[in-house]
Amino acid sequence: MSNVSELPSKEENVLKGHEGGVLAARFNGDGNYCLSCGKDRTIRLWNPHRGIHIKTYKSHGREVRDVHVTQDNSKLVSCGGDRQVFYWDVATGRVIRKFRGHGSEVNAVKFNEYASVVVSAGYDQSLRAWDCRSHSTEPIQIIDTFSDSVMSVCLTKTEIIAGSVDGTVRTFDIRIGREISDNLGHPVNCISMSNDGNCILASCLDSTLRLLDRTTGELLQEYKGHVCKSYKLDCCLTNTDAHVAGGSEDGYIYFWDLVDASVLSRFRAHSSVVTSVSYHPTDNCMISASVDGTIKVWKT
Amino acid sequence: MDIDEDDFVFYGTPIEREEELNSRKKKAVAEASGHLRTLPSWKQEVRDEEGRRRFHGAFTGGFSAGYYNTAGSKEGWTPQSFTSSRKNRAEFKQQIMLNFLDEDEKEELEGRSLGTASQFDTFGFTAAEIARKQAEKEQQQRPSAVPGPAPDEIVLPATESIGVKLLLKMGWRHGHSIKDSHANSLYKARREARKAFLAFSSDDAKSQPEDSEPGDEDHKSILDHQPIDDGFPSSQSTPVYIINPKEDTHGLGYDPYKHAPEFREKKRTRVSGKRGSGNKQALSIKDSLFGLKFTFGPSAGRAAPGFGIGALEDYDAEDEDVYASAYDIEDTYIQEDEEPLRSNTENNPKLVWKEQGVLPGFKVASNSDYQLERFDPPVIPNDFLPHHKFPGPLEFDKKPATPPPPPPEVPPPKDDNLKVLIEGVATLVARCGKLFEDLSREKNQSNPLFSFLIGGNGHDYYLRKLWEEQQKHNGQKKIALDGKLSSSVDKMTVESRGKILGEMPLERSSRDLSSSIASVNVNLPFNLSDTFTKPESFSEFPEVAKPFQDDPGKQERFEQFLKEKYQGGIRSTASAGASNMSEAARARERLDFEAAVEAIEKGKLNKENKLYSQQIVGFPASGGMQFTSGGLQQGKDTQDEDLATKKMYPRREEFQWRPSSILCKRFDLIDPFMGKPPPPPRMRSKMDSLIVTSDLKAMKMEEAFSADRNQPLALQFSPQEVSKDVVDRETEPEVQVENVERPVDLYKAIFSDDSDDEIEASNFNTKEDPEKKIEVAHSTLNRLMAGDFLESLGKELGLEVPPNPPYSTNIARSSHQKESAIANAGNDNILSVEEKSFSIPIAHGVSQEERVANDEKTAKKGEFRKDEQPRPSEDKSDKVYSGKIAQEDKKKAKLPRSLHRKRSSTSSEDERSRKRSRRHRYSSSDSYSDSSNDHRDRHRSRSKGRKKRSSREKKSSKKYSKQHKHGSRDSQ
Repeated sequence: MSNVSELPSKEENVLKGHEGGVLAARFNGDGNYCLSCGKDRTIRLWNPHRGIHIKTYKSHGREVRDVHVTQDNSKLVSCGGDRQVFYWDVATGRVIRKFRGHGSEVNAVKFNEYASVVVSAGYDQSLRAWDCRSHSTEPIQIIDTFSDSVMSVCLTKTEIIAGSVDGTVRTFDIRIGREISDNLGHPVNCISMSNDGNCILASCLDSTLRLLDRTTGELLQEYKGHVCKSYKLDCCLTNTDAHVAGGSEDGYIYFWDLVDASVLSRFRAHSSVVTSVSYHPTDNCMISASVDGTIKVWKT
Repeated sequence: MDIDEDDFVFYGTPIEREEELNSRKKKAVAEASGHLRTLPSWKQEVRDEEGRRRFHGAFTGGFSAGYYNTAGSKEGWTPQSFTSSRKNRAEFKQQIMLNFLDEDEKEELEGRSLGTASQFDTFGFTAAEIARKQAEKEQQQRPSAVPGPAPDEIVLPATESIGVKLLLKMGWRHGHSIKDSHANSLYKARREARKAFLAFSSDDAKSQPEDSEPGDEDHKSILDHQPIDDGFPSSQSTPVYIINPKEDTHGLGYDPYKHAPEFREKKRTRVSGKRGSGNKQALSIKDSLFGLKFTFGPSAGRAAPGFGIGALEDYDAEDEDVYASAYDIEDTYIQEDEEPLRSNTENNPKLVWKEQGVLPGFKVASNSDYQLERFDPPVIPNDFLPHHKFPGPLEFDKKPATPPPPPPEVPPPKDDNLKVLIEGVATLVARCGKLFEDLSREKNQSNPLFSFLIGGNGHDYYLRKLWEEQQKHNGQKKIALDGKLSSSVDKMTVESRGKILGEMPLERSSRDLSSSIASVNVNLPFNLSDTFTKPESFSEFPEVAKPFQDDPGKQERFEQFLKEKYQGGIRSTASAGASNMSEAARARERLDFEAAVEAIEKGKLNKENKLYSQQIVGFPASGGMQFTSGGLQQGKDTQDEDLATKKMYPRREEFQWRPSSILCKRFDLIDPFMGKPPPPPRMRSKMDSLIVTSDLKAMKMEEAFSADRNQPLALQFSPQEVSKDVVDRETEPEVQVENVERPVDLYKAIFSDDSDDEIEASNFNTKEDPEKKIEVAHSTLNRLMAGDFLESLGKELGLEVPPNPPYSTNIARSSHQKESAIANAGNDNILSVEEKSFSIPIAHGVSQEERVANDEKTAKKGEFRKDEQPRPSEDKSDKVYSGKIAQEDKKKAKLPRSLHRKRSSTSSEDERSRKRSRRHRYSSSDSYSDSSNDHRDRHRSRSKGRKKRSSREKKSSKKYSKQHKHGSRDSQ
């Protein structure tokens, strides 16, 4: 049992630059850099460990809601209120492709493992898969079995997992051609996968995080204490999968024990809603983004 | 040219001519990205983010305000010249803001600062405001204990009302009484004021004594009348001198003699002369009293010309010059005319005034024009009933002209408990009105159980049920109320009201209620029994209604609930129920209680409406029994419900989903639906649609079987897999035949984009032997049927299905198989040895996925051939294997984390597997790739063997190519 002191709670750096709320902050694959996007219609690349702003990507017409980077750090994908998915070149900062087709705002976007497909989740109750290899800008697959806005998407090697406001977490297994729908009964805000890939952590709008076993769909644990009623708040597991981290609408960050769901630590991180948390893939380091326009880097 | 250009240094960017031709959109985009060249200001256009020209308004510049939308001018900015010499020193100019404003800005600025001029600052508000601001400024400058500006609004005391202010201005002081005698002091004050006023004008000096004379008389007469008054402090309060009382009808601040001060004197003398005669009537009053006096102009008929013209009244020409000096001149004429009249009236008033307390100089009008404006309270209509309307009206209370159409009949939700709950709520809502629904919705917002209230699961059914209940309820109530309403329509008693509201009257009044209800009933004979039996049943209520006898705690809460319920009003939920109960449990219990109470009430109604005098004796018992049983049942239900809700979420459902083939390609997976016709949208899984029983049984058996043999399975599965591969290979020759003709494929597989593979893949089936096409169509069914059968067979045989069937069937290839069998044996060992390293993870990883898909394919192929050459055993092994794979998938997640870690740390793993696959090309000793190995052997034996159809080979090569591509892309 790792102890509480290992949890990042010391403010290492504050990344300032976004004008307006930051909607998402994500580490890259190796955790050396992080990306953020926000209401100021920009995507920013940072070195969170040194607190340096590296680059700004501007092209979105409205707020940018999600961003993801490939494993090799060469491409970005972002989405937002302008109903488009942008495929960027990291180095030049230019948009390589724009994927249009979502009927309304796009909430989340992810690359697949080979960075060949981008899957986006939209307010138009659909998931769309876009091909990065061909020059076609048409989606190669539209999944529209959701009955409400799709908030979050995760990809594994063989599956597409998405959480929706209709209360379901749906797993689309490409390999066997099955859709598995786990109805949680509450709008799902955000899903994130455990590092071992066995569990899904779903943030529900009843201020509860729920941990699901992916194979059986059973509810393993519920994590409560934070406030999550109207915002899209991220949640994540720590790099060791021992703790659950999540933001709260009152500006706090919460850490729960994975197993017994007790709140191990909570501290005021931001002056406003903590929209996003992202945990370093290997170290005890976390970044959090908030509506107050800052990104903070937390270390032990 | 080019060479020349090297010598030049270019500053800036050239102006792009095309810019003008382009659409504004493009320009906007360019602008947004900072590509807009620096144009001279007259060429620039201000645009918003969507490329529209900025529009300032039709009358404020159109598209261009200022100087080309800038603050500049054509001349540009010219600095002030500064010259100073010894002779004439340049004086230091204090610059103020106004220096920099142009005319209209100044105007605007002035217009904004509207305030009372200091001379009209009657109450000193403006001065106070200025002082306050000043103080604030000072406050900000000096340090204070309280940081920040102290909010004056907080510090300031509550302001006095305007009335108090006025009184204070008039000399009244706090603690003094305001009496009738005040008129006296007021008069005195006025007199003083007048004196002071007259003292100003030297001309009136002589008239002053005259003036004071009648006043003194008046005063004396007052003294006669009210001798005590003088002793009052109020009379001693200092009069406020109104220096310049406003007595004309001009607007505030308007001075008609502004440019002709000589007339002012004239006027003053006239006025003072008037006053000298003791006339104290204000001009306005006089005007209104003697409207005929105004003869000037065409507006003679108007009561108050010029004044009181509202915004909506039309503004005539004659109204325009109200303030014109002509008015005043004419006015003065008129007043001269008035003079005699006034002197007439002047002598009389004193007497009258003395008696009635009228102001001096006034006389009491015989019939007063003045009417105290009073707003009468609204007239209460005769038929008004003082009856409180409940916010959520009961359905039977209101009768819509056209009842809304009933909601459609909906089958009840599958969940029995939910159904019960919905029905319960519907009944209650029908009985208690919409308010209850709202309340419970609010209470149970987060409770998934009540989601049907918000429109979730079972909402339709709830609506239907509610409607039904309402119908029923209305029917019931109508019977009860028809007579009552007609008789009590004019007078609603407390009891009837309480009844409608669902209040339970107190013990004593319950008698009254029953009697009143009874009196309503036409059946007189039963009234008597009513009066006797009703209270009895009511008083028995608590004893009877013990539906929760088995649970004393609950029973207690029920009683508490009853008590609270019949206290009327909105119950405090906090006190209801045990605090340690969950919200959901409490809600359910409340429902329980409500239902029980309702049942009792129903019984009561029955009693009212039927001949029941004989039944009375029996009722309590039977009813009680009924309640008890019902309650118990419900209690049980709720317990079940509790469990059910726990189980309800998360709920897992499974559907078929068809990924597009290109998606599979991009994910590096084999399309599970390859070659199958597109399924109907959202087909249920095969378990539901096909031979259900055997399938289910098989699944169950399999599960039971695999449950206890997790680990062995994982190990054993490799030999079978190998055998699988063997089988796989056997199917290949047939396929390869027709692919030989396509030598380009290899290149495609390696170099071309993946989308080509897709075509290839889709061709895969169409290119097969034409006679197989039909089989393809049937393949699914066949496979499933056969699969089920073989699965069970395989199970009976156990896991160790020997890979020999192929041997027997395919003698031609026996040598290969033998090889592979040996390899299998070796492989087995290796696997078990290597298990800890990466062979298992790999088996679980990408390659394994391929294998699964591969497997399916081969199974299919096997069936194709089955028609020609049935080989059940092979299929069997297939099926067993595939079943195990499926099992395996499930198991995967259960494996220790380390394994998964390996699996999920994909990049390195993949790298390795790729390397391995590459290595296999050169060394055939590896156990893992035995399939591809002897595949390759075969290829070698055939000249065109490379034109493989084996997806394994294809995969590996593709992967290689892909990786190659990755690499090249990365290096870019």
